[in-house]
Amino acid sequence: MTEKIILKDDFLKICSDLLSKGDTLLAPGQAEYIRIKDISEIILNTSALPPKTSFKSYAFPRSEPLLYYKRGKNDVQIIDINVEGKNIVVIGAKPCDAESLSIMNHLFTWDYEDEFFTARAKHFIVIGLMCSNFDEYCFCTSVGTSPVSEKGSDLFLIPLDENTFAIRIVTEKGNEFLKPYTEFLKDGNEQNSAMITKKVKFPEIAFDKDEVYEWLGNNFESPKWENIGNVCLSCAQCAFACPVCHCFDIVDEDYSYSEGRRMKNWDGCQFGHFTLHASGHNPRDLQSKRYRQRINHKFRYYVDRFGKILCTGCGRCSRGCPVSINIKEIVSNCKD
Amino acid sequence: MEVLRKYASELLEKKAVAAVIGYVRVSDKRTRPAIITNPEDTSSLVFDNYCLNNLSVYLTKARIKALCRTSDKPMKLAITAKPCDVHSIVALIQENQIHRDDIHIISFNCGGVVKDFGLEFSKETLASKCIHCESQKPVYFDKLFGEEKKIPAAEDKQLQKINEIDSMSTEERFEFFKKEFDKCIKCYACRAVCPLCYCQRCITDKTIPCWIESSSHQRGNFSWNIVRAFHLSARCTGCGECERACPMDIPLGLINRTMAIEAKKSFSFVSGRSLEIPTLVGSFDVKDSDELFM
Repeated sequence: MTEKIILKDDFLKICSDLLSKGDTLLAPGQAEYIRIKDISEIILNTSALPPKTSFKSYAFPRSEPLLYYKRGKNDVQIIDINVEGKNIVVIGAKPCDAESLSIMNHLFTWDYEDEFFTARAKHFIVIGLMCSNFDEYCFCTSVGTSPVSEKGSDLFLIPLDENTFAIRIVTEKGNEFLKPYTEFLKDGNEQNSAMITKKVKFPEIAFDKDEVYEWLGNNFESPKWENIGNVCLSCAQCAFACPVCHCFDIVDEDYSYSEGRRMKNWDGCQFGHFTLHASGHNPRDLQSKRYRQRINHKFRYYVDRFGKILCTGCGRCSRGCPVSINIKEIVSNCKD
Repeated sequence: MEVLRKYASELLEKKAVAAVIGYVRVSDKRTRPAIITNPEDTSSLVFDNYCLNNLSVYLTKARIKALCRTSDKPMKLAITAKPCDVHSIVALIQENQIHRDDIHIISFNCGGVVKDFGLEFSKETLASKCIHCESQKPVYFDKLFGEEKKIPAAEDKQLQKINEIDSMSTEERFEFFKKEFDKCIKCYACRAVCPLCYCQRCITDKTIPCWIESSSHQRGNFSWNIVRAFHLSARCTGCGECERACPMDIPLGLINRTMAIEAKKSFSFVSGRSLEIPTLVGSFDVKDSDELFM
């Protein structure tokens, strides 16, 4: 990995160039990652908490058509959709968001490649920005990442002073991305930026992820699930705000008798009808079972299948929970 | 606070109630609903300006109702309710979802609550429902705590916005709501926190036929939000939970309050204020004015 130095103004010039080329630029706003229309909207603030939602919807939209269909007299005509990924550059991604696409990629390329996701995801350039703030809901350090983690970023920014950034080139993609802009880059020294990252305060480690993994395997029937299930109201705020939750439903929408389209829509495991079978049987008929599924999926099943925790520790689910359920607290209690 | 804890603990000890639905503190500016069945756990109960949730949403949950049948004789449920939450309880009783005799209402003289967790309580952060609150004292209760308090006076920005929308042309109004509903991600947090969204199976969950598309595109979002507005008109008691829970900050309160204003203007009806006055939908009369719809 190499490190370069870039002036903030020069970095913004790069952004400006990308905008003029028609690339999509995203940067964290207060409620969501906003689509940048003017470079003055780019703030690069390390002390901002993550926006209420992540940028996952740009690779995995909350609702998208998979195909169109037309009913003929004796046949059905299928009209496929080719997703053409366009360059999307995420500027100043929070370290807890940067890794989201690569975590979801395991699922979307597993037994069947979801070309709708991969076509978009491969056109992403993620420029992470060091994070210097956390609140009571943050727990990135407990899931193996940190406020200075480069995981998932192609390039990673560390502010050296008000006007200068160290820019770490993390991936080959990041390297390629910077090639047209070498005039703006000066050679950097990793020790300088390390001085900055060393001073960053990390959220305390709240739980041991391996211990949680073990506990979940042994406590499928724990009464703890019932206590949470009594309070949880079964909305999907947690799943939809989550940078890595990826469940979806496929439904057909008719425009008329002869035409329609097949949609892929976000779905959430806390909804009662998520697992409702056509027969009327529901294997997760109680909220306690659904909450247990949520935690197990994140901290055990995904680990079993892909060797990764399905959580980045951003704390969005807890910050936005209408009944103040705090996942950090719950997972910390996943021990005897 | 101590008197509340002692009272709740006694109720549970005497087995007068099966559970106390109350608030516990989780951090400085945040509380969480708790379903307390053990007298010892009442020591964490709180009531203050950070008790935002309308706990009456739990009264219709099968899993909570089941707690009342855990011993030989059916027991009551105790609920700590702000005076505005009592309106929801009244509405639930009137709609035959619960019986007054099954509920033990512990209420408080209320001094207002903050609009969202994490904010410091002040006149600037007051919940919009508190700004125009006319019920600082509960209309019904079994036990009342706290002295009468004053809610800090603040500007009613919600009403200003309603008036502004009222003065818009149909096209402008459509544009306004289109922009707001475009944000909807169909997480149904609004439905989940609503005490009056108690349907066992919501119309949005019906697939054959599919009345409301689950896609969160414009048509799906409009149909969901409009159906919800219809289903709640003259029923919504204005607790403001849907707007608070919405992760996308859609101003749902504007819709619900507009419907409430219309119900009051046209039928002199305000939902959840009295057990004696029949509900608006339940007291339909052919002589009712239909000006509202024409």
